[in-house]
Amino acid sequence: MIKKWHGVDRSKYKWYPIIDYEVCNGCGMCLLTCGNNVFKWDLNRNIPVIANPDNCVLGCTTCAKLCPKDAITFQDDPRKFLRKIILENKIFPQVKKELDERLEKYPNHVVTIEEVSNARN
Amino acid sequence: MQETSLAYWHVKERKTIGWYPTIDEEKCVGCGLCVVTCSEKRNVFGYDSITKKAVVLYPYNCMVGCDNCRVACLWDAINFPDPNSLKELAREIIDEGIISGELRKKIATDKSLIL
Repeated sequence: MIKKWHGVDRSKYKWYPIIDYEVCNGCGMCLLTCGNNVFKWDLNRNIPVIANPDNCVLGCTTCAKLCPKDAITFQDDPRKFLRKIILENKIFPQVKKELDERLEKYPNHVVTIEEVSNARN
Repeated sequence: MQETSLAYWHVKERKTIGWYPTIDEEKCVGCGLCVVTCSEKRNVFGYDSITKKAVVLYPYNCMVGCDNCRVACLWDAINFPDPNSLKELAREIIDEGIISGELRKKIATDKSLIL
């Protein structure tokens, strides 16, 4: 099942890594880093393949940032891409609901800026 | 407290890697999107409900390379270091054979990852 992104239907959007196989050296960092099983491994060619593009988190480029060969790109600039989605889906009522639920579940995350900065210093 | 399961990034002690968000309180409007975009497992952020600002509570729970909170912030209130420093770290542990070892282990344990 495809997860929703703050209430937004994930399947409405295309967002997944594109691998440049001319550059990829098959190190495997992308597969190890992705927490959403976007990648599978092709043992014959010893390279990653995009097996589950719809699992990729909207706006996430973690695999690309860790790729030592810069072999991974995305279709769009992530900030521009998410900005459009956030605005066209008016997600903030849902975000507020999720925020309240998160803070209720993890009450130690209700803090003041002051106490956190004091604890750090 | 940092989650103990997150204390290492591959073989590197997580606390030696300066990758985590910082919030510009002047720009933060307290929408909370960063708080809930970060996974419950990592839960890097706290929230100050009096000033209505997000607060970086557990910086070293942050997933190395992830900046999804920054990307989602419409107010450009979240900053991260230059990701190129991470590529250097990645190259180091790849050259040491650590990543290929972990990859072999991972696909041996979970055959569904093999195409």
